[in-house]
Order: sequence, then C-alpha cells, then structure tokens
Amino acid sequence: MAASSSSGAPLFGIREEDQNQQMRQQHSSATPTSSTAAPAAPTQKKRRNQPGTPNPEAEVIALSPKTLMATNRFICEVCNKGFQREQNLQLHRRGHNLPWKLKQKTTKEPKRKVYLCPEPTCVHHDPSRALGDLTGIKKHYSRKHGEKKWKCEKCSKRYAVQSDWKAHSKTCGTREYRCDCGTLFSRRDSFITHRAFCDALAQESARHPPSLSTIGSSLYGGGSLSNTGLGLSHQVVGPPHQLSSLDHNNQSSLLRLGGSSGADAAARTGQFDHLLSSPSMGSSFRSAQSSAASFFMTGASDHDQSNQQQYHDQDKSFHGLMQFQSPHQHHSGGGANIFNLPFLSNSTTNNTNSYSANNNNLLISPDHFNTNANGSTTGGGSDVSNNLFTGHLMGGGNNMSSGVPSLYSNNGNSQQQAMSSHMSATALLQKAAQMGSTTSNNTTTASLLRSFGSSSSTTTRPDRLGTLVPSSLGGMFGSDQTDQSHLQDLMDSFASGGGGSSIFGNAAFGGYDASANRAINMEDTKLQQQNLGLSNIGGGSDRLTRDFLGVGQVVRSMSGGFSHQRSEQQHGGMEMMSSLDSKSNAAAAVPSTQSFGGGGNFQ
Amino acid sequence: MFQDEGSSSAPSSPLQFFSTMSLSPSLGSPYPWLKELKSEERGLYLIHLLLTCANHVATGSLENANAALEQISQLASADGDTMQRIAAYFTEALADRILKAWPGLHTALNSTKISLVSEEILVRKVFFEMLPFLKVAVVLTNQAIMEAMEGEKMVHIIDLNAAEPAQWIALLQVLSARPEGPPHLRITGVHQQKDVLDQMAHRLTEVAEKLDIPFQFCPIVSKLENLDMDKLRVKTGEALAVSSVLQLHSLLASDDELLKRKSPLASKGSNGNHLPRALQMSQGTLGELLEKEMGNRYSPSPDSTSSSPLSLTPSAKLDSFLNAFWDLTPKVMVITEQDSNHNGSTLMERLLEALYSYATLFDCLESTMPRTSLERLKVEKMLFGEEIKNIIACEGSERIERHEKLEKWIQRLDLAGFGNVPLSYYGMLQAKRMLQGYGCNGYRMREENGCVLVSWQDRPLFSVSAWRCRK
Repeated sequence: MAASSSSGAPLFGIREEDQNQQMRQQHSSATPTSSTAAPAAPTQKKRRNQPGTPNPEAEVIALSPKTLMATNRFICEVCNKGFQREQNLQLHRRGHNLPWKLKQKTTKEPKRKVYLCPEPTCVHHDPSRALGDLTGIKKHYSRKHGEKKWKCEKCSKRYAVQSDWKAHSKTCGTREYRCDCGTLFSRRDSFITHRAFCDALAQESARHPPSLSTIGSSLYGGGSLSNTGLGLSHQVVGPPHQLSSLDHNNQSSLLRLGGSSGADAAARTGQFDHLLSSPSMGSSFRSAQSSAASFFMTGASDHDQSNQQQYHDQDKSFHGLMQFQSPHQHHSGGGANIFNLPFLSNSTTNNTNSYSANNNNLLISPDHFNTNANGSTTGGGSDVSNNLFTGHLMGGGNNMSSGVPSLYSNNGNSQQQAMSSHMSATALLQKAAQMGSTTSNNTTTASLLRSFGSSSSTTTRPDRLGTLVPSSLGGMFGSDQTDQSHLQDLMDSFASGGGGSSIFGNAAFGGYDASANRAINMEDTKLQQQNLGLSNIGGGSDRLTRDFLGVGQVVRSMSGGFSHQRSEQQHGGMEMMSSLDSKSNAAAAVPSTQSFGGGGNFQ
Repeated sequence: MFQDEGSSSAPSSPLQFFSTMSLSPSLGSPYPWLKELKSEERGLYLIHLLLTCANHVATGSLENANAALEQISQLASADGDTMQRIAAYFTEALADRILKAWPGLHTALNSTKISLVSEEILVRKVFFEMLPFLKVAVVLTNQAIMEAMEGEKMVHIIDLNAAEPAQWIALLQVLSARPEGPPHLRITGVHQQKDVLDQMAHRLTEVAEKLDIPFQFCPIVSKLENLDMDKLRVKTGEALAVSSVLQLHSLLASDDELLKRKSPLASKGSNGNHLPRALQMSQGTLGELLEKEMGNRYSPSPDSTSSSPLSLTPSAKLDSFLNAFWDLTPKVMVITEQDSNHNGSTLMERLLEALYSYATLFDCLESTMPRTSLERLKVEKMLFGEEIKNIIACEGSERIERHEKLEKWIQRLDLAGFGNVPLSYYGMLQAKRMLQGYGCNGYRMREENGCVLVSWQDRPLFSVSAWRCRK
C-alpha cells in the first residue's frame, strides 16, 4: 500500500493541472465517469424499482432453482410437450380435446408478485429485496448463479443468458477500437476515454522520464534530513518497484504491497551496512548484553574499581554506558554515572569539533567495532586500543541513532537546525502540566530517588525496569537535552538489556535497526509490543510521564547555574550532545563516585 | 457545580494551573530578553501565555487577551521550533475568534482570501505521504473491504472523501489477484471539487484498464451534508462497501448546540464573543441536562481512554446520514476519524485538547520533515492550522472539525444500528508492518475492541473501525 500510494500520489499532485487541461481540450464532452473494458458492466440508465423496497402488499414467490430454470414449465400430460406459459398450454390442450380454460382478463388490478432468488447467499433471497418480475429473476439467477453456457466464438466471452450472448455476438468484432498504445476496445466510449488519457500520459511521460515526479523527490529529498529520513527513502524505493510489478504482472496483493517494505528494509540495511553495519552491531550487542542490566542495577559503590579502571582513559567517555564486554567488568553502572557527569557539571567543549569527530567515527566504526567484538569474545576486556575504538564507536553509534540529524546534516542540511530540536511539544505540554500540578520540588525529588531505588531492586523484572529506568534517565535528559530518540536509545538499551531479550538490537539503534529487525520480529507482536512499551518517552502512561517530568524538573532546578552557563554558548542547541560526546571532556575524567555524589545532592 | 467553575472550564487539567503560575520570565519583562530564551523555556512560556490568552478570550477581557497576543507574537513563529509553530497557529485562531465578534471586520479582513484547490490537494497529499496515519487507515480499510467482498461479483464502493486514488489503486491490485477473479467494481466518489473527482476517475480507470478489471467510477460533486442518497445509485445485487476517511465528524456540526449553552458559563465562556446569538436562544431544560453531562464527559488526562461516563450529543444530521446508509445495507462501512476530543462545549476544553493533539501532530512533522520544508509549512498552515482555527474560532454549524474519540463513534454507530466488524489480524499485521516501515519508533498502533488506534508515542491520533448493519 505504502508503495503504490507513494508512487501514484506524487504524480497525481503534479499532474493535475496539465491533465485537467488535456481533458478539457481533447475530451471536452466526456463525462468524468468512464466505464472501461467492461462490455458486461451494468448500465444504469434505467432505474428499476429499488430492490430494497418492493411493494409491501406484493405476494412473495419463492421458486426452486429447477422451476426457475425450466424453459417450459407447463407440460402437456399427453404429449409431454412443454410450454413457457400456462395460457399456451391451455390452448394446446384444446388440440387434444382435453378440458381447457383460458384465464380471463380481470378488470381489477392484478395482484403484484415479487420473486425471490433461490440462492440462499444472494441478497435477493431476502424477501425485502425480492425482484419484481419473473423474467428478471430468471435472468438474475442465471447471470449471477448460473453456468455461462453461451460462449462468443470470436472473443471467447461467456454468457449465462442467451439474449446477452446474442446481443454481444451482434457487435463483437464489428466495432473494434485500437489505441496506438496497443489496447483494444470494443466500445467506442471506453476507447475515447482511453485516448484522452493515453495521449496525456504519453506527453507527460516524455516530460518526466522516470517514475518519480519532482514533488515526490523534493518531498523525499527534504525528508531525508530528519530522523525518519531513511524510512522515507524507503518510500522512494518502493514506488517504482511497485509500478513495475503492476505493469508486468498485473497482480500484486496487499501483502506484497506491505511486503515490498521488506525488500526496502533489506535495501536500507544495505545502505547502513556501509555506514554503520548495524545488524552486526545489534547482534554482537545482544550476545554481550545479557548481563549488562544487572550491572547497572548494582549500587554505585560497587563500582569503584571498575570505574577507576574505566577512567584511566579519558577518551572513553562512553565506555561504561555502551560497552559491555565481559561480565567481570562492571562498566554499565559506572557508565550511567559517567553519563550523568558531563551533563550535570556541564563543562563543554567545541561543538563542531566533537561533531565531526563523531561522524568520522561513525564512518569508520564497523571495522573497529568488529575488532572489539572479537576482543570480547576472546575475553580480552580491557585492551586499551580496543576500548578506545569502542568508545568512539559507541559515541558515534549513539550519536547516530539518537542525533540522526547530525548524520543527515552532513548531507547538506543545517546541522544547527537539525540539532536544535529540543524538547518535543508534547513533552513540553506534559512538563507544563506537571509544573502546574506539582508545587513542591521535594516530591519530585522523592520520585527521582524512588525510581533509582526501585530500579535497583527490580533487576529481574524487565517490565518494571523498562518504566523505571527511562524515568530516571529521562529526567536527566528531559530537562535540558531532550532529544527524544537519544533518550529512547539509552533507555532502550538499558531496559532491553535487562530483559535480555532479542529486541536489544532493535532498541539500541532506534528506528534504524528496527527496520531490519522488523522483518525478523514481525510475527512476534508480543516482543514488539514490549519494545514499544519499553521505549516510552514523551507520552508515557501517567505514572511514567509524571516521573519523567518531575525528575526533569528537579534536574533542571538543580542545574540552574548550569543552564546559565550554557546560555553563554553560541549554539544553544548542541552543547548537551557535545558534552556527552566530547572526548576531551574534563568532567568525564572525574571518577564516577563523585559524579554520583553530584547526584547525591538530590538527596 | 460545573457552572461555578467559570470559564476556566477544565480545572481538572494540570495545564490550567500552569497558566496561573508565575514563570521566571515575568509577563512584564522587556521583549529583547524574551528572545534569548532557550527553546524549552520559551516553549513553556508560550504554553503559559497561550493559556492565559485563551482564558482572557474566553472571559471576554479583550484588553488582556490583546496584551497576551502581543507577547506571544514576540515568541511564536510559524517556522520556528515546534512549540513556536503551534503557538503561532493557536494565537491566530484565538485572534480570529476575537475578531468574529465584529462580523464586519472579520469578513472584511477575509474578503480577498482565495483558496487554491490545487494547493489544498497538494497539502493533503503531503499529509498522506509524510505521515503514516492515513496509509494505515487505507491498509485497514482495504483489507476490511476485501474480506467483506470475498466471493462477490458486483462490488460497489462509496468513497465519502474521494481525494486519494492511491487507496483504490491498491484495492484494484488486490482485487485483480483475487482467487475467484476480479469483480465488477464500481466506485462512487463524493467530493466537493469536480477537479479532484476527475483526477480520481482518470487514475483509477487507467489502472483498472491495465489490470483488466471491469470498472466504473461515478463522481458525485457534493458536500457530504448535502449528499443526495439517490445519486449513489446503489443497485440490486451489488455488494456495497462504504469508506469514510476523516469525514463523519463534520456532520456533527449543528446550530442547535447553542441551545444547550446558555448557562452563565457558556455565555461568559466560549460564547463571550457570540453574545447576541447566544442570547437569542431559549434555555431549555434539556440543554441544562446536556451541559452537565458535557462537563462529566471531559477527561482531564489527554491519554486516558476515559472511564468517565459518556454521553452523546445527538446530531440530527449524522443520525439521518447513518440511517440512510443503514438502509443501503452495506456489507461493510469503514470509518477513519481523528481520535481526539475536539468537540467540547467550551473554548477552554477544546483549546486544551487541541493543544495536546496538535502538539503531537506537529511533533510528528518535526520528526519527519526539516523545518525549512515548504511542504511542512503548508501542511501546518493549511491543514492543521485551519483545523485549529475551526476548532477554536468557530461555533455552531460553522464549527465542523468536531473530532471525537473512538468510544463516542462506537456509541453513535451502535445507536444507528451498526454492529462492529472487528478488523482482522491480517489487516493489522499489514498496518503494523507499514508503520514500522516508517523507521521511526514514535508511531504505534493498538487494537481496541476490534478497532485500531494509531498513535504518536502514546497519544492516539486516529481511529479506524469497521461496521455493518446489525440485523
């Protein structure tokens, strides 16, 4: 469906004026109604009495199929000759010297009769839609439910009613209209209609050679800037494919219409393969991931060692969060902390630099990632160079899935614009509602703590994890940075990691990998739904939303100085991302216990 | 008592209180300062200002409303971030509402307005293409029709908004692949613009020819509310399907709603600018009753599918319309509607609901199209903006964007003698697949009582349901 609509639609949009003109010129008297290639199509000139409203006083007659189809219902008992009408039989009986009686014409109005179609599934089987005359019901029955015994020798069209066949035979072949395009018509009006459009189309296709119109391409080209750019380019891929299948096969089912997106997904995956190689990342993540959530859940104090280990290298600001290499490294807990860190302390760096760096990482990442994946399987957890690359990769990957705009902004669109999408309007409204209903910051602080506390106690329950982790993390992000998909990714990676389910790949890479996974997980709606549930952000159920917003508010209020600091920067929208991603971030070097101490200010 | 709550008619919504809070950038702050606000703070501030302004408009204090509008105009922008855009359209709507109190002024200001049909078509096209909602509706509708028409040899489809050929092209393709062979297909398209119907006829005949399906397109140039049922020419023996995409709510529009809005609240509130008309209306007891129920009906939480008791405002137009279709005994009637509660009786009710739902729609666009996109701007202005304006500024029969939640439609159709046809698993599977094809996690769909709700994040935006005559 998506495919065909997007193919037809843009064409439609741009063509309209030309075609209208064409139609007026060449087809000035033609009605917009055009019945085509349908000699047997019902004419609607004469309206018979409406089937739904037979005369209520009429006598309803139900005849068996046999009686109905009998050509000569009235049989002479002497010679077995059959007659169609009783009157004829009576006259015939006279010849045998049998008693006979002709019905007299009555002066009074004859009783009206209506007839039912004997076919039980037919609408006219219902007395309320009975047909008004016997011939009508006979023809109806043969046409709709009978065998088509009469075949036109010339064109092999078959008819159930002899008179239909006769009418057709008279004209078949005598009038034939052939368009230059090769299409044959037996009816002049269809032919004329066709010609008008056929010429118009020929002219138009000369102007716009391939299937994509300018509207379509400009739309889609524009669309590729944003998060769903790929999803849209899928639309572009779709239509031509669809059209061709239409032309050549003359058949495609709805399933295939939907299914064509499968092919597109493959294409898209391919597209990403050289950018990101997302499938492999997803899968290797999945394998390394299962224990991650529990790490995250463990108390921060348990992580001193691992955190120190981690902070040896300043460049690896994202390690803890994204790298789950081996079970004995408790990185994820540290990761969460480190993650908060640049955020709350907000020592910022040059935005553009960090961006380009990330994008570079993005492009080179697959190789490095593979190395890293190998490393993790062999158990070489803390190799520095490995970690370095992983750090970059994850920074990049994260940037990719969350701040997609940055990727696209390289394709000629304004980076700043794409990045400056802050809090979504929905989230703002909810925040506003929250501020309206919440008067005290203490309560929200409590909810923040509650969500941290309970998240550590629900390690084994992915569902709750899903709602609680986002709420706490979301709070951090929600206040200042608020790129939805960014948040979502992080949340998802935690949440689904906790679940240890196969949706991780899906979640970790947001919409992109989702498209690849879709083909696999399609049938498994439960998983999908779980995923959807987990990736709640802005809209959430009340509880989630409340937590999310409340926390956001707290963070915001606590980091007031921080936002002032930010206001001095030139690129208002980007510092958060950059501070997250920056490798020379001084704050990232601070041990995470401190950063959590910063979090401890909450308390 | 509902009436005592005055024009801030939805005190149950926390957003209401938001407007009464004093925000850090105080109202009297110098304008240059406002411009330095960060996106988020500006957004919050805009919401605050919008609600304040709406309250003033509702209470008829035009001086204050004007002051608020002036402030908003410093911050809002049709090409800014999402909240700036939303604010721009809501303020325009509020201003329009104020202006309507002076019909001469209002008419004069709009006297040279031209509406380009081609532009409108383009905008709807972009909406159809860029956001998945209508496509999901199309997939579900077609699948429901296919299932209902199985084995039928004469199929007649009535499209109550025949603007989108893509839907029927898809159906033609599926029909041509039917195991039992394609039926004779007749599509009757209803639309106000002849050009649109001509396009439709052209595209569809062309495809039908290629697929060799006996096909006929019957255009009916008419407004939906004036539709002459005889023109539909539903014939003996054909299987009838009806498809309505975002149409039925306009039939809820009626003047007689003024009847039930004569309470102090109403005249002071949403009718502040319609005093003369409102006063002409007599005050019936039925009206009072309805009013109370309307009060109950409003659900504070934007997402809740509402446990509060529902009550329907009877709509003569819709009732007779549904009855007429019931008489035609369609095998299936598929209805797509905006799943929002934009038919509240008071301005504030509608404004709050509209704020939520259009914020969501604008978010969808934000995630899909670049801010500089002209198409996006047009969709926002000509489609959403106009809807917002209609919801906020218009009253009575003028107010046609009366979107209602699915549960209301279920009730209405049930009352009209229709029984729900659960959408099939297969249809939903296809729709889900299509949604995911958008590659964006934000779009969701869920089944509810055999109907489908399509959402952005967790806010349902559109509902699709299928019906047939209950015997």
